[in-house]
Amino acid sequence: MAGVCAVCAVSALGSLPLGCNQAAPAPIPGDSNEDAPARRGGILHLASFQDIRNLDPAGPSDGLSAEPQHLLFAGLVDFDDRGYLVADLADHWEIADGGRTYRFVLRQGVTMHDGSELVADDVKRSVERALHRTTPNPNASYFAGITGYRAFASDLTDHLAGVSVEGRYIVSFHLDEPDATFLPMMTMHTLRPVCRSAGDRYRDDWTPCGAGPFKFAEWQPGTLLRLVRHDAYFRPGLPFLDGVEWSFNMQLVAQRFRFSEGELDVLRDLTQSDQRRFAADARWKRLAGVDADKRVYGESMNTRMAPFDNVEVRRAVAAAIDREHYRLLAPGYMTVLTQLIPPGVPGYDANVAGQRYDYAAALEHMRKAGYPYDPATGQGGWPTPIVYPLYDRGLLVFTAQLLQEQLARIGLRIELRLMSWQAFLTLQERPGAAALSQGAWEMDYPDPSSFFDPLFTTGAIPEAGHNVAFYSNGRVDHLVAEAHRELDPERRRDLYREADTILCDEAPWAFAYGYHRFYVRQPYVRDLTPHPVWPLEATRAWIDRVSDAGFARLLRGAIR
Amino acid sequence: MHARVWSRLRRSPSATAGGALVLALVTFAVVGPMVARHGPLESDFVHGITDRQTPIGPCAAFPLGADRLFRDVFARLAWGARFSLVVAVTSTTIAILLGSLVGVVAGWVEGVGTVVPWPLFVGAMAIASAAALGRPLIAWAVAIAIVLLVASGRTRGPRIDLDGWLMRLVDVMLAFPFLLLILAIGAAFERTTAATVILTLGATGWLGIARMLRAKTLQVRSLDYVEASRALGQSNFALIVRHVLPNVSGTLIVSATVQVAQMIVAESVLGYLGVGISPPTPTWGRMLLEGQEDLTSAPWLVVAPAAAIVLAVWAFNMVGDGLRDALDPAAEV
Repeated sequence: MAGVCAVCAVSALGSLPLGCNQAAPAPIPGDSNEDAPARRGGILHLASFQDIRNLDPAGPSDGLSAEPQHLLFAGLVDFDDRGYLVADLADHWEIADGGRTYRFVLRQGVTMHDGSELVADDVKRSVERALHRTTPNPNASYFAGITGYRAFASDLTDHLAGVSVEGRYIVSFHLDEPDATFLPMMTMHTLRPVCRSAGDRYRDDWTPCGAGPFKFAEWQPGTLLRLVRHDAYFRPGLPFLDGVEWSFNMQLVAQRFRFSEGELDVLRDLTQSDQRRFAADARWKRLAGVDADKRVYGESMNTRMAPFDNVEVRRAVAAAIDREHYRLLAPGYMTVLTQLIPPGVPGYDANVAGQRYDYAAALEHMRKAGYPYDPATGQGGWPTPIVYPLYDRGLLVFTAQLLQEQLARIGLRIELRLMSWQAFLTLQERPGAAALSQGAWEMDYPDPSSFFDPLFTTGAIPEAGHNVAFYSNGRVDHLVAEAHRELDPERRRDLYREADTILCDEAPWAFAYGYHRFYVRQPYVRDLTPHPVWPLEATRAWIDRVSDAGFARLLRGAIR
Repeated sequence: MHARVWSRLRRSPSATAGGALVLALVTFAVVGPMVARHGPLESDFVHGITDRQTPIGPCAAFPLGADRLFRDVFARLAWGARFSLVVAVTSTTIAILLGSLVGVVAGWVEGVGTVVPWPLFVGAMAIASAAALGRPLIAWAVAIAIVLLVASGRTRGPRIDLDGWLMRLVDVMLAFPFLLLILAIGAAFERTTAATVILTLGATGWLGIARMLRAKTLQVRSLDYVEASRALGQSNFALIVRHVLPNVSGTLIVSATVQVAQMIVAESVLGYLGVGISPPTPTWGRMLLEGQEDLTSAPWLVVAPAAAIVLAVWAFNMVGDGLRDALDPAAEV
């Protein structure tokens, strides 16, 4: 401790703004008392160290893009604040034909951002646009069960037979087989209705337009995104906010400084030390929290590229990773994960025989693979370096270095290669481009299929999905499809358990860790609570501050 | 002459202090990795961690503490010193050689029309670029074209204002933002390695030196004894070697010393911005970048590399100042 304070003294001499036990900044109070009614006005300012990729719900997406997409586009159905499935643009729905037909009756008088009324034709057009062969939709494989999907996706037909308009406000979806996950899947942003300006086919240059609570105002890629209130939103009186604004590519330390000054209203990307400081400060206790454990991170191995086309090498990697070491990078927020489904997702099964760290077994797998490695001499192993693409943000740059160190111990030499986030995503989805890379996934809807379908089924191999391991196993495909048809929860659990066990054994991913996201908001941000499914739900949030950030700064300066 | 310079250097406080710091830096770079208890890439999850599961602060086993991956900051700093010095000295050497060549030639031929076998120059550059970018077919095609040109005797270009061309080249290169250039070179090679960092810094660091040496050469060229030597029939090459280079060597030495300091900063900037050499290679800029998030909880992660950069740059600049004073003839008055 004396040494630490000695360093602090040196840094103080160097005029660096350090402190051994610097306290968290003071919260900026709201203008009203706690039980004041919600009122309109104000902009919600958010930031991220990342960038967004796309705003079109039918296009390539990412975790951060889902935030504005959710506010721009409303769906036929949605999850409410407690995680229950509810009608949204639909007034109600009916299930017929033994679970093969879903008939949605739309609300009447829903005004889209361009002023037009939402009708059933818009729903059909949006679905066909999103699932067309020319659309780079990584989520298309989710909807392969809609009747006529194969023919439509193969360009054999002009229209998707399984979606029919049965009146101005009635649209039906016909499925090949009953699907227990169809309604949860319909909550995803992919098929949400878009304005007529989107056209029948996907275009890069379309200005986002939907029926959500906020509409598009401005996007400066890499810098800023601004949405403004959709005054004609179909839920009267909502939203309260005048707008929502994101700043991108902002360093964590810069975010904290701006949050302290009231220029950011919610802080979600925190350094480890800041997390500890806010979590330990009584003033912030009520304003801070962590969201559910609904993310899976691992090392994705391209099963079509050497040496990971050899299942023994993949098993060696899964056994060589000491997940406890990963956890130590962010203790309290990272959790050790040995299987695909994180504990916070309904359907998590603690009985799955997951992947475990076992160094001796890892060496044995390398020997079986034909690449024996002798740790004493450092001889053997895979002869050439394996390129590991990564972007220079967040935890990845640290987990990558840890992985490099751990795999070197079994004779796999990893060469880290820095690139932009966009380049990383593009490279990962290109066949034969990345042998080994980080796999990351966040729950789309609360069901195991939200992880199995997009990540490990044959139909989800890019371009149609996120199966960046290019993994294909007939048995897994069958089990996942069977689980879709199965309505009995226990039986579904058994099916997913078997599929998860196969994945843990064949190891297209070495599952590594889950992550709780810590957040803290200023007291003047009201009714913005973490949603059980969506990363951001700001429809009912409001700002209890008349003054803007600049004025508040001036005021504090004057008081001092 | 040398004795006088040495004597002035020893009397200069800044040169003495700077020299001592440079010596200490070199010693740290050479000896530090040998005495460090841990490897620079070696995580220690047993001793490098506190009870609160945070990186340990400075202590006997970890003299400068541990980083977020529980690696020895002292070991990484020492290896970073080695890397920084090698990059700075090598790229400075490249910059000095290029700058001297262009500056002296431009100054010497100023105002004189020069016949340049430009097809050979352009061809050689095209071959080198194609080879570096892994395009052997293009390199061979250019090589064959050059052979044909030589065979037909068409390698002599027109008489041109070589000085003007070279200085416009310098102008154009100065117009390129340094970071854009290194990003482009990194993209061309698909990755950033020590070699690409050295080449980029060397290829962009000679511009100022060329301008300065051109001016100096113009000055020397018009001296009476140089004119007399020329009248006696000495060749251009001999005149440059015997009269120009000795006269500009002092300027060159001072420039080189200051340039090393600039290269250390440039290499650190690249590392800090994440466009330098990829992790886990320890570089001071990279250490600064990875440590800044823990500035308040683990200040040693920032203080150590920041202090190293500041001290190294200060040291080389002080040596440069001392050398300038010692080599400046006006100081004798």
